[in-house]
Formats: sequence, structure tokens, C-alpha cells
Amino acid sequence: MNRALAAELFKLRTTRTSWGVTLGALGLVLVISLGAALAGDFSPGDEPGIDLLEISGLVQIFALVLGILVVATEFRHGTITPSLLAIPNRLRLVNAKLIASTLAGAALGLVATALCAAIVLSLLSSRGIETGARSGDVAELVIGNAAASALFAAIGVGVGALLRNQVGAIIGALGWLFLVEPLLTLIPGFNDVISKWFPSGVASATAGTAESPDALDQLPAGLVLAGYAAVFVAAGLAVIRRRDVSA
Amino acid sequence: MAPAVVVSGLTKRFGSTLAVEDLSFTVEAGRIVGFLGPNGAGKTTTLRILLGLVGATSGTATVEGRRYSALDDPVHTVGALLDGGMLHPGRSGRNHLRALARASGVSNARADELLELVALSDAADRRAGGYSLGMRQRLGLAAALLGDPRVLVLDEPANGLDPQGIRWLRDFLRSLAAEGRAVLVSSHVLAEVSQTADDVVVINRGRSVAQATLAELTARSGGGLRVAGPDAVRLGEQLRADGADVVGAGDRAILVRDRTGEDIGHVIAQGGVVISELAPAGSSLEEIFFELTGDASGGPS
Repeated sequence: MNRALAAELFKLRTTRTSWGVTLGALGLVLVISLGAALAGDFSPGDEPGIDLLEISGLVQIFALVLGILVVATEFRHGTITPSLLAIPNRLRLVNAKLIASTLAGAALGLVATALCAAIVLSLLSSRGIETGARSGDVAELVIGNAAASALFAAIGVGVGALLRNQVGAIIGALGWLFLVEPLLTLIPGFNDVISKWFPSGVASATAGTAESPDALDQLPAGLVLAGYAAVFVAAGLAVIRRRDVSA
Repeated sequence: MAPAVVVSGLTKRFGSTLAVEDLSFTVEAGRIVGFLGPNGAGKTTTLRILLGLVGATSGTATVEGRRYSALDDPVHTVGALLDGGMLHPGRSGRNHLRALARASGVSNARADELLELVALSDAADRRAGGYSLGMRQRLGLAAALLGDPRVLVLDEPANGLDPQGIRWLRDFLRSLAAEGRAVLVSSHVLAEVSQTADDVVVINRGRSVAQATLAELTARSGGGLRVAGPDAVRLGEQLRADGADVVGAGDRAILVRDRTGEDIGHVIAQGGVVISELAPAGSSLEEIFFELTGDASGGPS
């Protein structure tokens, strides 16, 4: 394996923060899935299996934060200096971070969705509720959410490189998703555009959990999300290549 | 082969401030060069430019003839310790070093060996957030040595070290230079490098104010020896007759510039003169440093 990538994967697994984010995401999926599958009040014909799998979509946000951390933490603690001394080519360093984050995001999405599916489908069956989930649909959801999480992690790398300030990047990214996008939907006539084309909506569509009938199909949505990731990463890289690293 | 380090016409401007101005110096293999100047003189900026972390406004800084970013195997060519923490507080010292080892194709065994060398083996598995400044410096030094580099660039390495640590560092740098490695070591305290460095480069406000061997710089003090006592003036005449450079310093004291204490002792014994004092005079190395850097006020740093 490439040295730079090996180092990035090693860094990811040697801090509590990245484990905290990962296990926090999985724990949340676990608790919510259990709660919903055990306590949900379903009428006959609801076939809630697929709907409940949407719960696993929440890990996309955690993947985004993980991607931001992979870059911004190095600036926060000044470890970017020794990292760049070992790998002076900034393109190569960011590229390794991008691949490591994307792999971590994909793994998180995969595990979270599989976990959610196992809990929800087995508990609903044991309660005698018709899940309505065909295995093909479930597989599409697992793959879709893994892809959406991987791409959100990639966007995180771009945002982290662009801003370099850890707190600012996380607040900015979450603020955009939870505050700015919802507020923009209040502008009359914009609602459809935003839910179809802006990052949150595109990520849901990629995962296959978008509610709007207007939403993109999984594959085109994934391509649009990859486009967002490419733009953020390219912008972040342009900034990182020129910046003086003085702390 | 190109010299270990060549800094040539280096200038760095941050907005309207000139951090480094037209700086040039060379570090040859096997030599220890003390890079001196008060805090804020531009030492760290210069070293960061040399290491490819900061871009120069103009001029060049090369290692073995190439820019740092163009080196094939940077960690095996240059080892660097820069000022500052530069540790993830949640990662253990051992894992910090191993991450860098992986990035540079160095084995874990080498990383562990270096932890032993800098006496960090016992603390290596603790989270680095709890390390003292001295422990951080030692870990940074271990990181600098990972690739067994031919050139070492150390920014204020003595910071946070206790007196034994400083002494150890001094001997260690000497042994590295004796193996033919080039060492560029910065400090804002002349005394720290005065027993280690072969050459010194003194900068102030980004400009070079002196470059010399340490011996030359010491000689430049012009100090000489001060002799005082009832027969001092008579002794001065005898020495002057012998061709020495002697100046009067009051009615009972003289200043002899080009004779050793022992030379003067012989003349005293032969001439049967009586003196009460024979001591080095003039400015100490530290005073020359302040003179050169115009920092005589010497505020706290």
C-alpha cells in the first residue's frame, strides 16, 4: 500500500476522536433503530421496513465530520508540519487524506446501514409485521448509503482543506445542512430546487431514502454528489497548495 | 556534491513586514552552524522556507542542491525539529512516531529504537497531551532522526530541556557532526550554541548581521586582558617594548590585547612587578550578540 495512505489510515485509527465519531454514529443508529422497530406503532399494510432504514442516513453527517477532522485536526494541533515534512507534496498528502476519509466514510455507511437493516427487519419480522422490504431494495440502500457517506466524507476533506479551522469547518458544514438549507426552502418556489439539487437532498437521493417523488435516482444523484465533492476538494487543494504552513 | 544547505538571497514578506531580507548562508557537511537571533528575527521563517512549508517571496533555499519539495526521499535526507507542540493530544507518542514512520517508509522497530534513544520509552504509550515541553521536544527530536538523515535542521531544540537534557543534546549534536552530518541549529540564546557550533550566522530583523566561525566571533570581542595593580603601568611599558598592543586604563590598570595570560605572567615573573588583578576584559560573547542584534535592553522573551 502507498505510504501516505497507510499513514493516514493509521492516524485515523489512533485517536479517540475518530473512534468517538464512528462509534457515536453507530450507537445512535443502533438506539434509534431498536426504538423504532420495537416501539413503532404500525397499521397493517404500512410495510415500514424500507422507511425505517432511512434512520441509517444519519451517519452521512458523521462521515462529513470525520472528513473535516482528517484535514482540520492537523492544522489545529500543528501536526500538519511533521506530516508535510514526511510528504512535502501537498497534492499527494491531500490525496491520501481523501482516499482514507472516503474509505472510512464508506465503511461507516456500510456498517450503519447493515446494522440498521439487521435490527429493523429481524425485529419487525419477530413482531409479525410485514416489512415490505425485498432484499434487492435493501442491498440498494446499503450500497447507496455507503456511497453517500463516502462522498460526504470527501466533501468534508474539501471543506477542511478550504477552511483549515476545525471548529469553523464543522460549524460551517453543519450550519449549512441544518440551518441554511432549511431556511432557503422557505423562499417560495425554491423548495423543489433545493430538495432536489442541494447537498442534503442529493445525499438522501444517493442513499435511496429521498422522500420527494421528484428526487433524482440513486446513480445520477451519486454523480451529482461526487461533483460536489470534486468541487470542494479542488477548492481546498488550491488553497492548501499556496498557503504558508507556519504553525 | 552541493553543500548540505544553501540559502541564497532569501526574502520573505508577510504583508507589509519583511520577515527575512536578502539572507544568504551555507552549511557544509560535518559542521554545526548556530543560527542565532532574538525572537522574531526571522529564524523560524527561514527554516520553514528551507523545509518547503512557507513560500519565499524571492531567493532560494536548498538542501543538497534541491528544494525540499523536490527531494526524492526527504525524511532520509533532512531531519527537522520545528518550534511548537505539533502533537495530537489524543494520540500516544509511540503512535505519533509510527504514523510518521509509515509515511516515510521507516519501520516500527526504528521508531521504538529512537524512543529508547530519547528516553521516552516509558511514556511512549501515554497520550501526548500530557507530555511536558521537554518530552515533546525529545519526541520531536526522535521524529527528526527517523530517516537517519544527512542534514539536521533544529529550531530551538533546547527549549524545555533540563540542564542534563541540554548537555546530552550538545554531545549528541557533536557526535552527529562527527559522523559527517550537517547540523543547522537555531537559538535565541548564544550560550546554548557557544559550546557546540563551529560556525554562527547571526540575524536581526531578517537580515544577516554576522557570519563567522565561533572562534572568529569570539576574537572579535577585542576583549584582551585587564591587568591592574601598583606596577601595572610599568608592566605595560615592558610589554609595549616587547611589541604588545597595550592601552592604558587609568593610573593603576592596563589593557593588553594580543598576549595570553600566561605570556603576561612570564613578564611579571621576570620583571618582578607587583599586580593585584589579571582578568579577561571587554565584552563577553553574549555582549557581542546584543551589540550585533541591537537588543541590549534584553527584555524578557
